[in-house]
Amino acid sequence: MIEKRKSALVLVGHGSTLNPDSSAPTFQHADEIDRRGLFAEVYCTFWKQEPSLREVLRMVESDDIYVVPNFISEGYFTETIIPRELELTGPVTRRSGKVIKYCEPVGNDPRMIDLLLRRARDAAPGVPPEKTSLLIVGHGTSLNQKSAEAAHQQVRVIREKRLYAEVMEAYMEEPPFIADWRKNTSQKHVVVVPFFIADGLHSYQDIPVLLGIESARTAAASQQEIFRRNPYSLDGRELYYASAIGTEPLMADVILDTVVRFDRKHLYDLAA
Amino acid sequence: MISDELACLIRDGYNALGELGFAESLSGYRLYHWADRNSLSQARVYRSSKDAREIAKYDSSGAYRPLKGAPNLPRGWVLELPNINDLKRALDFFYPGAIATWLAFREGKTEPVCLRQTLNRQTGMYRVTRKLTADQAQSLVREACRSDSRCLRTILWGIEPDHPPDFLPASKSDPTVDQTGQKRAALPFLCLEACNLLVAAARTTVKKTSR
Repeated sequence: MIEKRKSALVLVGHGSTLNPDSSAPTFQHADEIDRRGLFAEVYCTFWKQEPSLREVLRMVESDDIYVVPNFISEGYFTETIIPRELELTGPVTRRSGKVIKYCEPVGNDPRMIDLLLRRARDAAPGVPPEKTSLLIVGHGTSLNQKSAEAAHQQVRVIREKRLYAEVMEAYMEEPPFIADWRKNTSQKHVVVVPFFIADGLHSYQDIPVLLGIESARTAAASQQEIFRRNPYSLDGRELYYASAIGTEPLMADVILDTVVRFDRKHLYDLAA
Repeated sequence: MISDELACLIRDGYNALGELGFAESLSGYRLYHWADRNSLSQARVYRSSKDAREIAKYDSSGAYRPLKGAPNLPRGWVLELPNINDLKRALDFFYPGAIATWLAFREGKTEPVCLRQTLNRQTGMYRVTRKLTADQAQSLVREACRSDSRCLRTILWGIEPDHPPDFLPASKSDPTVDQTGQKRAALPFLCLEACNLLVAAARTTVKKTSR
């Protein structure tokens, strides 16, 4: 168990100006870590919500600050947006008597594989994996290759476990596209797990349209009575759509492990 | 400590921030919508600072409030909080960073950032915002940030480097003016840099013009 009673934890989420659920997992995990009393302060900050990345460090009073991106992969946000907006110079930034420690995104944690598999199991209880296509869907972007690489890596590892008849990947903004799932999967049962942090705009509202289980963008998940009505029968296939993996309560521990990993990796930078 | 400073400010007579009113109570601090100050006995009582986050999430019609400075907080609630730390946390859920920003500004630890600088560092889908002209920027800010309907923050940044926000009504850039127009003893609610919503609106403006 880590204890950082003199440090602050700043969790960075994407947030949304359209979907109130986008920031929910970031707040959820921050609340849990705060409840455990491990840090002097715990704050959330967002690209699209307040407090913004430009404001949050003013709120922090500790001199020792861990910044953890609650993002599913390394990529445009973790490599461009967050360092730029927080004016970071590298993994360790020293400024005005403060030390800002920039950790890896939570999606780098090795337990993501187990979380993805658990989500797949929970979404389709009793459905035999050996007769099922598992489709991991991510964002993907032309702005940074690493976004899709992270999902690709998960797919590769899960495929090697030989649990599912096939394990495929698909993306919103780069090929193979989510909308092509019918031709890119072969089994009657298709379990789709969003490799996303939140059941927000993309995962809850956009991807169901791309999959064809909704004809248009629905209201946000928190404004629906029922989260999903699995399975969806489409063209003779049974499709099961899971909740985003970032909403797992275990993610609070993943965030804490990300801090531990940072300390281990940057032991010498910090001693300097 | 920011909460100690807040306690001093309240003892000095400050009792409002944005649409909020607050005061010491027998059991700690009380926080409410300013418009409800004379009908608090009818308000629904909440006791956790985290309730503030939920109250601030939607307006009275149930619409999501992405911009926390918008003058559309729902009414009919009162937060009874045990101590100053909880009051500070609740205020940070309603108006994230407002108190820290004012204290930092007052102590000369932070400066406003002009809109041009904010737009010029944008990348990806927002890179195009650097094409926003000064005239477009002025009309956009005048409309998108107006205190009567859009945002209660006091704008301290101009469009170009070293330019004051003199295209706005003088009251909109004066930290001593209560943006709700009620002349209360309100803590200044500052805007030191354009928010992401304004950057997104700048993108829409540029895209419309280039069509």
